[in-house]
Amino acid sequence: MGLKMEQYGLVLSEVESGPGGKRTLELLFGPQHPTSGHIRFFVELDGDIIVDIRPDPGFVHRTMEKLGETRHFMMNIPLFERLSLPDAINVTWAYSMAVERMLGYDVSERAEYLRTLFGEMSRISVHLYDLALHAIMIGSSTGFMYGFGLRDLLVNLWAIATGARTTPTWVLPGGVRRAPPKAFYERLAGFLDFLDRKMDEFYRLVVKNPVGYYRLKDVGYLGKSDAAAYLATGPGARGSGVDWDARRDMPYGVYKQLEWEVRVHDEGDSLARTLVRIEEVREAARIIRQLLKAMPMDGPLVGHNATHKIPPKEREMLNELVRMSGYYVTTTNLAEGTGVTEGGRGRYFFQVFGAGTERLFRVRISTPSWQNLRAFMKATIGARLMDLPAIYGSFGFFPPEADR
Amino acid sequence: MAGQKVGEAIRAVLDVIGLGLKYTLRPERLTIYYPYEVPDYMGRVRGWIGLWTERCTSCMICARICPTNAIKMYMEKNGRRYPGIDYGRCIMCHYCIDACPTYALYPTDMRDLAFYRHEDMMYTPDMMRRPPQVPKLVPQVVKVVHEYSGGRVVKVRLGEPGEHKPLPPAPSVPVVES
Amino acid sequence: MEIPSWLLSPRLWDFLFDGVVSTLILLTIVWAERKIAARVQMRVGPLHVSPRLGGYFQLIADAVRFVMQEVIITVDSYRVLFVALPPLFVALALMPSFMVPLSPYLALLSRPSLHYGIIMALAVLFYLFIIVVGMGWAVNNRFAYIGAAREALIITAYEIPLLDAFASMFLTYRTIDPIEIVAKQTYIVGALYNPLAFIVYIIGVAMATSRFPFEIADYEGDVATGPYSDFSSIFLALTYAGGIYIALFSYSLLGALVFLGGWAPIAPGPWPADLWGNLAAAAWVMIKTFILMLFFVFLRSVMPVARLDHTLSFSWRWVLTIAVAATAVSAAEYFLL
Repeated sequence: MGLKMEQYGLVLSEVESGPGGKRTLELLFGPQHPTSGHIRFFVELDGDIIVDIRPDPGFVHRTMEKLGETRHFMMNIPLFERLSLPDAINVTWAYSMAVERMLGYDVSERAEYLRTLFGEMSRISVHLYDLALHAIMIGSSTGFMYGFGLRDLLVNLWAIATGARTTPTWVLPGGVRRAPPKAFYERLAGFLDFLDRKMDEFYRLVVKNPVGYYRLKDVGYLGKSDAAAYLATGPGARGSGVDWDARRDMPYGVYKQLEWEVRVHDEGDSLARTLVRIEEVREAARIIRQLLKAMPMDGPLVGHNATHKIPPKEREMLNELVRMSGYYVTTTNLAEGTGVTEGGRGRYFFQVFGAGTERLFRVRISTPSWQNLRAFMKATIGARLMDLPAIYGSFGFFPPEADR
Repeated sequence: MAGQKVGEAIRAVLDVIGLGLKYTLRPERLTIYYPYEVPDYMGRVRGWIGLWTERCTSCMICARICPTNAIKMYMEKNGRRYPGIDYGRCIMCHYCIDACPTYALYPTDMRDLAFYRHEDMMYTPDMMRRPPQVPKLVPQVVKVVHEYSGGRVVKVRLGEPGEHKPLPPAPSVPVVES
Repeated sequence: MEIPSWLLSPRLWDFLFDGVVSTLILLTIVWAERKIAARVQMRVGPLHVSPRLGGYFQLIADAVRFVMQEVIITVDSYRVLFVALPPLFVALALMPSFMVPLSPYLALLSRPSLHYGIIMALAVLFYLFIIVVGMGWAVNNRFAYIGAAREALIITAYEIPLLDAFASMFLTYRTIDPIEIVAKQTYIVGALYNPLAFIVYIIGVAMATSRFPFEIADYEGDVATGPYSDFSSIFLALTYAGGIYIALFSYSLLGALVFLGGWAPIAPGPWPADLWGNLAAAAWVMIKTFILMLFFVFLRSVMPVARLDHTLSFSWRWVLTIAVAATAVSAAEYFLL
């Protein structure tokens, strides 16, 4: 799309179809733009209506799939965590599930509970992030600050439990790396009460507020059959009536033993998707409260197969800390494994192929933002230019995750 | 939800303005006034990594497992190689500490590091014996933590942060915080 | 010592008072906007520059930074307008505040033309949108073009209802002279005489000065601040970061005179005998103006941004209806009061 200076006028493409011909304005909604994220869109506007939108992804392509083949499979965990840092636990959980299926590792019960608890916290974290960005794209900086302020409290909890605020690097194939201290559980219960109150205020400020309400209502309509045909996932699909959630339909963790609901709305517009997100935050808080009652406070952090590889003098610490020594000497076998988890934005899919050495032969990643791109394009055509940020935020499109 | 009716819309607007006024008059603030206040992480944050060279056997597992290739091995006078960490690349995941079979690498919870030159970030093994001396930015620093009670959050001051723990003699098992 | 007569001229004092106080109010209102938004948003806002004053001098630091920044005039822009329009914007935004009196004897204009002060002020304020459209055209990029088109559309949304609100108040008071309008309000202010007109006034001014929820022409999310997008340093300080607030100041001054009672209940004696009384009256007007401006900047922290076609349809369907109803109420008051 090289633009010459002579062409740098206002009208770049004239389409002769239609009565009298049609003139559209081509807008580069580029990476250097407040609400476009790290992706460029070529938007063709007829007046105020978007008639065509073509994405230009790849600005954040970090060759993660290739990098996954050049290193020890344990070194991939910090790498894949950076696909989507707000949702770090769910991404690395999917990868760990794939590696576990490849190696034949089992997961200890305490690790399953801990993973589920942190997975739900991760879901709250990514929903707060997405709702905050959506709010500021609509123009409400208060919603943005609420989302990120709440998220700041949550990452402080992650810091005392896993060791880092935003890059936990906590899920290992076979279990988890560290056990949270007692203070974590008390602070978490208090945080959930505060979260409920502030989410209610966020809803009143941004979504129920008629200015925000009409900004989201009937905007970016995606029908149910379209959502299913374009393989939309996460709130992008559940907002259009497609009732699929990997936690219930391809079960993992301890979700089967807990009482929770999948939130689905039928309208298919941005308001439905945003409401799905807000209600999923409440559902996540509900799941965490049940888990806090049922959490085993003692027990090994990794499963039996992983424990066999750990040297005996470290096995005494297995209730508190898992070191890397057992994993360093593990090589991959000539098998494949897949892992599917439901992150906040949709379902993460990892497929790993072992090579016989400590490296993997191939890692295949499918992220929800990349899946949602076609559905996002379909929903945007026919909307107005000012709806583009609203639809963008309602799909939770995250370019670093889409470009891998 | 159908479109909002007029009465509902007006009530929502008045509700929002009331909410804004309530917080304008009695705000609840979450800000931590760094560097006068620092958050309290109970010493469990993954920070700067140090080395006791007397326990190191030059097995190079740390260099091999580092996800960012931040560890270089430096040849010392006794003919063995010891690891030095490039803190420009280190992501402080502590894989090297966890992989070291002799517990030669030890963790600290110091994350506030800043350097003037890129060359200062490459630590050699002799520099890694003691944690770096970070000069105090302000005379008085307080540790704070957010505490929750009944759906409200307050910032509670916890007292001065202690000095980073003096170097213990090389232990046989690592000290695990709880 | 003999004080020369020009030093005691009411025009000079009105000019000085207006200029100085409007600058102070500009600084304070930007600080207040950031602080109010911070209080609602669980954070602190500017604090570090002058901690004991709550960060007030941050604005002076920002102003110095604006002035010292490199002035960039883009290659593709239409240079004459690019450079000339921002100062014109500020001049036209500040001029209406000189056309209205600040007390019965402090005014820049004298009697026959002072009679039409409010109408002249409104006429000048309604020209501001042409300058914004001109700036969007001068910047010569696609986003500025879209922003300028939006600005040209928004004027159709607020011009008629705002004029209608003021016309209703003129009907209620049976006069257009600002001094007589204030004399008719003692404790029952214009907002109480005709609350519908006050509501229309607030919505209209929010649209005119791009206050949330109507920051549509220079919406950062979509058109990257539209017509103001390629301006930097002093140009930005004159338009986006300063000029818009000066326009808000002028609108609020008109609103304080017509809707909030002006300098009532202070009734100063003639100038220059009652120097302090007149200055007190002028200060009282400015305080009411500031309170009105505070409400407008408070809206930033609670409202998202409405969409363009929603704004236009809302204005033509609802605001115009309320404005016509306000005129009906005023007509009733004209005959009954």
